[in-house]
Amino acid sequence: MSELSVLLVEDNPRNLKLARDVLEHAGFAVTAVTSGEEVLAAARTAAPDVILMDLQLPGIDGHAALSRLRADPLTAGIPVVAVSAFAMQVDRDRALASGFDGYLMKPISVREFPEQVRGHARGPDGAP
Amino acid sequence: MGEPQDEPTTPGRSAEADDPVWLAARLAEAQEQLTATREILSILARASSSEDDVFEAVVDNARRICRAQAAQIHVVDGDLYQLVRSRGLDRDFFEFSADNPVPRDRDSLVGRVALDRTAQQIADVLADPEYNRPELQRRGGYRSIIGAPMLLDDEVVGVLSVWRTTVEPFDEHTENLLTTFAEQAALALRNVELSSALQSRSAELARKVDELEALADIGAAISSTLDPDEVLATIVEHAVDLSGADGGSLMEYDEERRLFRVRTTYGTSDDVREQLKTVRIHVDESFVGRAAISGMPVQVTDLSDIELDPHLRLLLDAGWKSLVVIPLVRPDRIVGALVVRRLTPGAFSDETCDLLTAFASQSAIALTNARLYEQLELQRRELATTSQHKSDFLASMSHELRTPLNAVIGFSEVLLERMFGELNDRQAEYVQDILDAGQHLLALLNDVLDLSKVEAGRMELEVTTFPAPDAIRGVLALVRERAGQHAVELGFDPTGTPTHITADELRLKQVLLNVIGNAVKFTPAGGTVTVHAWTEGPEVLITVTDTGIGVAESDRSRIFDSFQQGTRSAASSEGTGLGLTLTRRIVELHGGRMWLESELGVGSTFGLALPRQVHTGPVTGWTEPAVDDGRRAIVVIEDDPSSAELVAVHLTAAGLRPVAVRTGEEGLAAVRALRPAAVVLDIHLPGMDGWDVLSAIKADPQLAPTPVVVVSVLPERGHGFALGAADYLVKPVSKDSLLGAVWRAVAERVDRAGERRDVVVIDDDPVALELVRATLEPHGWTVTTCTGGAEALSVIRAVNPSIVLVDLLMPEVDGFEVVDALRADPRTAATPVVVLTAKSLTAKDRQRLRGRIEFVASKGELDLSWLAARLTQVATGGSVPDEGREVQP
Repeated sequence: MSELSVLLVEDNPRNLKLARDVLEHAGFAVTAVTSGEEVLAAARTAAPDVILMDLQLPGIDGHAALSRLRADPLTAGIPVVAVSAFAMQVDRDRALASGFDGYLMKPISVREFPEQVRGHARGPDGAP
Repeated sequence: MGEPQDEPTTPGRSAEADDPVWLAARLAEAQEQLTATREILSILARASSSEDDVFEAVVDNARRICRAQAAQIHVVDGDLYQLVRSRGLDRDFFEFSADNPVPRDRDSLVGRVALDRTAQQIADVLADPEYNRPELQRRGGYRSIIGAPMLLDDEVVGVLSVWRTTVEPFDEHTENLLTTFAEQAALALRNVELSSALQSRSAELARKVDELEALADIGAAISSTLDPDEVLATIVEHAVDLSGADGGSLMEYDEERRLFRVRTTYGTSDDVREQLKTVRIHVDESFVGRAAISGMPVQVTDLSDIELDPHLRLLLDAGWKSLVVIPLVRPDRIVGALVVRRLTPGAFSDETCDLLTAFASQSAIALTNARLYEQLELQRRELATTSQHKSDFLASMSHELRTPLNAVIGFSEVLLERMFGELNDRQAEYVQDILDAGQHLLALLNDVLDLSKVEAGRMELEVTTFPAPDAIRGVLALVRERAGQHAVELGFDPTGTPTHITADELRLKQVLLNVIGNAVKFTPAGGTVTVHAWTEGPEVLITVTDTGIGVAESDRSRIFDSFQQGTRSAASSEGTGLGLTLTRRIVELHGGRMWLESELGVGSTFGLALPRQVHTGPVTGWTEPAVDDGRRAIVVIEDDPSSAELVAVHLTAAGLRPVAVRTGEEGLAAVRALRPAAVVLDIHLPGMDGWDVLSAIKADPQLAPTPVVVVSVLPERGHGFALGAADYLVKPVSKDSLLGAVWRAVAERVDRAGERRDVVVIDDDPVALELVRATLEPHGWTVTTCTGGAEALSVIRAVNPSIVLVDLLMPEVDGFEVVDALRADPRTAATPVVVLTAKSLTAKDRQRLRGRIEFVASKGELDLSWLAARLTQVATGGSVPDEGREVQP
């Protein structure tokens, strides 16, 4: 099983560090950006198997960043999972309705997190 | 061939009677007279005829039949008799005669008839020594003249006279005929009198009806809508229309600033209205103010005649000429003023002022209501804003707290997972403490969010049916570890536990976890926590009993409130303080309830009861605990907030406890949970509609006895009663009819235990009898039938029924006679009678039945279910609503 790559989009440095350390420990190749503006370029360059995106970001937010990814043929097929501290059912519903492939609520469960991410990642051949 | 007719005035049978020619002439004469009389009578009989028409016919026929040159009618006017109608007079004579009315004296024939009150003639005026109207006689040239009095109530109201220009006296026969014509002319006068009296009476009646209708309209507007401007506009509009004025305004008095403010106008141009709204009308410095202080209507007949304040100046400049100010006062204070204006000068009649005063009292109530409503609306908006702010704050707070908690909890877990190396025991213990604290904060956060969700009406239940023992065991497994640490023994005996339960599984587990977790937390080492579950009636009951420290009585009622842990929190126990509140709210969302039994130092039992059937759907609104505060609960199912509010206000004022919900699903859950004394049900509801709710209530044996009063814009009484509604009111509904219906429904339910329903049906048509029997028997009636009125009386005395249903048209003894006989007999005088008939009732029939029967149902368009419901209503002592007293459904 080859290494899965993940792009983290997270503006909070501690939460970014937590996710990166847990995922790298679980064998993921992790790249990270801290704003919505950087997401598209990073995704085009890294072509990750899955993108984990915070919703509340400085500048353009997670929903807007998702639209940019979906609008670009190079990145349109990459699964994007929201990882958010918004805890209401409406927040989850809204995210899924706007095209996120999954919704993970903070706080994350360290033990289950790698498996949850793996579940959303597309295979090395590009298949979901 | 007999003697010549030298005595033409001698009537009657004589020798001439044998002369066929004479007879033929007499017959022709008689026929002619008859025709004339008929003609006059037929004119008299025509309702539309005026006195002129009759007089015209009278003079015409009198002149012709009496073979006279002229006929004339004089009508009394004061002491004189005035010529009003004639035939055969030239204009000159008529004018002269009309200019010289006749006094009651012997100078003239008309005067003598008026004086003597009898018919008489002057054979030749020139030969009569007393006759003294030479000028008139010269102009008319008449010689023989005869007259008859027009008598009304013994008064000579006029004289009918005819004359000839030759000396040719009139016979007795002619005199009789003239007397008849005079009587007819008098009748015409009486008719005209009556008819004009009738007309003015009916005009007055029509006006009264208009007034009453207007007042009723306003009453309806006041009670059916809480939109104050609509009510006020209705009042001004009707006040202006009914007083025949051109415009008006309604002012509200601002007590603090001592100013009147124009709220609503009618018949007033937009720019004048805007000016009126800004003009300063101070109570001490204005005409309106002075009227208000006097408490009486005050009018200005011509605005250009008086000293003007700015308000009146503005009106005069805008073309208004007269007005009346009606103060609106409540017993203790000025509320406002109603101003009704005209574009022409002139006084307002006392009648108009009285009418407007009646309006004023309605208006004062409406204004007071409008103010209360506005305050309420303001508070509601403030509350809504506050609530929105609260939700926004909670969402944002939750997000901001979760972000750092993610790091606290996550890194703790990373360390405890030994992802990056070993920890020593003490380090592991400390990291565990950090994790526990982080998770406690998270739980607190989640409870806050859940609770705010419930309170905002946004918590939705996902109801399924699942195995109850498994759910309880699952929760026990979650607390087993902690119980072990506290050395508390957990007990659960699944015997008697229902195999399945219907609820939101996750929420129910959350509830049980909270209650069992609390019990473990507050039970000292060596104690026990025992769970029981069983079914009782329509409910599933679950209790959690501990041998813990107990809850002091003073804390028991507060323990379900937010942030109350009772004194037991002294034991440094950790909890969110929201758990039990949230728990109770979730149970109530299911239509259930919670309770607590406890003894200090001995232990506590927390119980929860869930209805066995929970209806799904968004549940909003009623979070009111199902406490019995002595007032009877009325569940109000109505999606329109202002209507619901209005109903609630009326019910509360009547000492009842309204519980308002907005959907049928919630309504049904509330009925199950609260077992209200009655239900007030709207039909148009989102989702499950009122008919479904009504059917569901009546289909459930536990709920079926609950009376349901339908209040709807749909006029489908029949359908409502057929489905089992206790009453059916069509919106808009007045306070009285609403409360009447609710109280009747409540009382009826109480009475039902001892009710007996026997009906005797009397009809000569066997098919009709069978139809009524077939209709009433399924509704629990015992039906005795009779085919005739005579038989019926003895049957009724024998059966002593709770109601009698009688046809009107029957051979021999008819329905009217049956009613009369029943009312005459003390044993049956009070037995309610309902008339069922194909006959359309005349005014006389109604008069005969009025007050003696409950109502009339027409066979033609009869809705039998409706009849059944109405009979039940009558039999159970519920008075029939007024509009149903004489119903032709």
